[in-house]
Amino acid sequence: MNGTSQPIGAARRSTEFQLVFMAAMITATAYTLASLGKNSVIPPRILPFLAVLLLVLMSAHIGVRWLAQGADSTVLPVAVLLNGLGYVMIARLSERLAGLQTTWTFIGVACFIAVLFLVQRVNDLARYTWTFFFLGAGLLLLPMVPRIGFSSGGARIWVSVGPINFQPGEFAKLALALFFAGYLAENRELISSGTWKVGRLNLPEPRHLLPLLSAWGFSVVLMVGQKDLGSSLLFFTLFIVMVWVATEKTSFLIIGLGLFVAGTTAAYFMFDHVQTRFAIWLDPWSRYDAKGFQIAQAMYALGSGGVSGTGLGLGDPTRIPEAKNDFIFAAIGEEMGLFGATAILIAFLLLIGAGLRTAMRTHRPFEKLFAVGLTTILGTQAFIIIGGVIRVVPLTGITLPFVSYGGSSLVANYILLALLIRVSDSSARGLGEVPNTATSRERLAVRRARRTSKRHPVNQDDQS
Amino acid sequence: MNTRIRHLALAMIILYVILFVQLNVIQVGRKNTLDSDARNTRQTVRDYNDPRGDIRTKDGVVIATSIRNESGSEFAWQRIYPQGDLYSAITGYFTFAYGATQLEKTQNDILAGRTVEQQIRGIGSLFNGQNTSGSVQTTLDSRIQQAAKDALGNREGSVVVIEPSTGAIQAMWSYPSYDPNRVVIQDDERAGELLRSLDSMSGKPLLANAYQERYMPGSTFKVITAAGALDAGLINTESSWPDESEFLPPQTNDPIQNYANKVCGGDLAEVFRRSCNTPFARTAIALGPQKMVDITKGFGIGEVIPFDLPRAVSSQFGDVDYFEENLPLLGIGGFGQGNTQMVPLHMAMVAASIANKGMMMKPYVVAATYDHNGSVLRRTSPTVWKTPMSSATSALLTELMIGVVNEGTAKCCMALANGIQAAAKTGTAQLNAAGEPQNSHAWMVAFAPAQAPRYAIVVMLKGTTAEISAGTGGTLAGPIAKKILDIALRR
Repeated sequence: MNGTSQPIGAARRSTEFQLVFMAAMITATAYTLASLGKNSVIPPRILPFLAVLLLVLMSAHIGVRWLAQGADSTVLPVAVLLNGLGYVMIARLSERLAGLQTTWTFIGVACFIAVLFLVQRVNDLARYTWTFFFLGAGLLLLPMVPRIGFSSGGARIWVSVGPINFQPGEFAKLALALFFAGYLAENRELISSGTWKVGRLNLPEPRHLLPLLSAWGFSVVLMVGQKDLGSSLLFFTLFIVMVWVATEKTSFLIIGLGLFVAGTTAAYFMFDHVQTRFAIWLDPWSRYDAKGFQIAQAMYALGSGGVSGTGLGLGDPTRIPEAKNDFIFAAIGEEMGLFGATAILIAFLLLIGAGLRTAMRTHRPFEKLFAVGLTTILGTQAFIIIGGVIRVVPLTGITLPFVSYGGSSLVANYILLALLIRVSDSSARGLGEVPNTATSRERLAVRRARRTSKRHPVNQDDQS
Repeated sequence: MNTRIRHLALAMIILYVILFVQLNVIQVGRKNTLDSDARNTRQTVRDYNDPRGDIRTKDGVVIATSIRNESGSEFAWQRIYPQGDLYSAITGYFTFAYGATQLEKTQNDILAGRTVEQQIRGIGSLFNGQNTSGSVQTTLDSRIQQAAKDALGNREGSVVVIEPSTGAIQAMWSYPSYDPNRVVIQDDERAGELLRSLDSMSGKPLLANAYQERYMPGSTFKVITAAGALDAGLINTESSWPDESEFLPPQTNDPIQNYANKVCGGDLAEVFRRSCNTPFARTAIALGPQKMVDITKGFGIGEVIPFDLPRAVSSQFGDVDYFEENLPLLGIGGFGQGNTQMVPLHMAMVAASIANKGMMMKPYVVAATYDHNGSVLRRTSPTVWKTPMSSATSALLTELMIGVVNEGTAKCCMALANGIQAAAKTGTAQLNAAGEPQNSHAWMVAFAPAQAPRYAIVVMLKGTTAEISAGTGGTLAGPIAKKILDIALRR
């Protein structure tokens, strides 16, 4: 095949262009409305704002167009819309944080393009399964290292290296999803065949189970050592879902649920803060003056928003503690109402849908499992925090992907997005929707090889 | 693996549908509950950062307004009450942490510019940022209100002045009162402390006792018994009662006595102006429990007064079954003692109904509400609440009450300036049982000018001091009523 126009790929990219453009326009409009609502003025630098916004989002789009032509056309637009609406809400809450979030968005998009460039074949990653295991484990344990790890807001999830503070857990989840995908793709048949007989049970060989159990151990470490219930729940779900999908054995799901119930019960009786979380979940009102205040304020905010919201800039979301962060969903529900909050839910469902469709379209087990892992992270994380804010589940502090304020979270999620897009592109190549041409790096490698061979014709002769 | 992935997708959809359902429960189902939660200060904060309109008297004196705070202050506006404690029972207060009372509460939407009508009229403000808060004009007359405060002085009690033909409140003052400026300060904790201490003070300054408390009315109640008996045809101007110092009702051996055990009797005009007790006890018992209770119901006793200020209470007389078993108490109730309890405002309305040909008007303090341009939003139109007596009976009662002023228990004190004739009835409600130290409320209900009434008034002094308890309605409340009426009628 030659390199001329490919209908499916081009159509997808043109759809993506239009959707990204719309996301930028919605963000700019919302930004203007929020400023009008709050200060009754059109933001003075709205045109430069729009220009920069378009520049950033379009570079992400061009990155996809250049490096992943066959990828799904909705993933990037939905993610940047979430990022944009989150930004509008953060800017409305605090101008100082808005400036920082802008920087994080730049870095996030840069990392997005960089990952697309560096990882041009998904299989490149499969080679490093164990590297990612140790990387993920190291990142997870990093906050517990004395001197560099520190606590903030009750959870010891921060690391401080020089001037940079970050939450390594946000990146660890990607590394562990990679490890699970790689390990399970290779060993899933061995694990599911269950050659180890214990009484009447057929269990996988202990040596195959060990890496998985150690991964599960991390979630316990997170819960106990770092008091990070949200991440612990996320890792555990990721682990169970991936094993279940890989082995196709429902018994793993049941065992997992059993472990979860046992772990939760043990944690409930062992730790005061877990008991407090449950108590607040069941009844925030009687604890209004203490720990229930935040949830109660979120309820008031959502209630005052009602169906259509107070209007951007016209509500009072600053009354909710951590509105910029874990509770940004309540702030959106207040000012954009049930409509806006539902739009956020639908956006996440679209991402989940696109991610799982990618998983189903590809035929390589590693890609399938990797896409499932990434999607599970995104879907579960959003569910845990939204559900915590609106009292569907006990509140466990964790960020709302793409929406909440926070550098580590935003950058990690853009990397996640790039990886998902990479898998999606790979599935399109596998299905022949776009030509499976050499990647730019492969072309680069070929050109370098040619140049080398020209300089050393003798070698070439030797080879031929 | 695809089957499992489909199951995973299904599970995710279910989870997000649960989120969606819960969002509906909170944002639609529980919205009203959440909005009205006492700890939810969102609406108050919004109100606090918005301009808020004035409350004025009918002669244009501003009694509540908002001034802009210096920048950097927690809230953009500060509510102030330029007349101090004088109108606190009318305006109430508007606080951040402790809610609002009286007009600040009932007229909140108007003052904040939040009624639908105001929002439609103020639609242009979206573009020019104009203030769309509304204002409230009350029926109060600042001269009379000030006169009521001055005349009552530091004696616990209430004064209410009504325009008989409309029910418009001209003055309403209760002592002790409080200065709402001290409550609306930005320091929530100090405001809370102050409110708590006001709440626990004797005399209950936070309660407007003119309409939020009830007291034994004493002989002022005789106008009600007389009106009912006249309308029923049981008595007339020809009726007379024996000279006696006490009367033994059925079902008891304990006689009912006249005030200070005096011998008292004669025709209707005489027993009314001398305020004999036994004739009215006899009349009430002769009317019987059913009829007597019906008469009091005709005056609205037992019903919450339909006032446009919040938490008005009801006057009380008693029920038929109870009086069937306790006829002596029915007799005592006939002259306003025993279990009879009247709200001072209600007693003023009784006087006003005599002055208004037998029609009792709904009392009100909100004359009109205005939008930000000064155009009228609502104007209160006077409405009849009860018609407790015939026009003929009201004319006759007016004559009887003129007799009280000219030759009776109010002779001492109710001769108005410029020879204006007043009609009045005194009351001295004895709170002590026989043998206990003297303790009584002093009452005066009146209206003037008697033939073309412009003002009806009640003055009630609580029997909290020896001075009040030793006096009578005529000698204590009379001079106060006269002072106020003189100022009100001065032109």
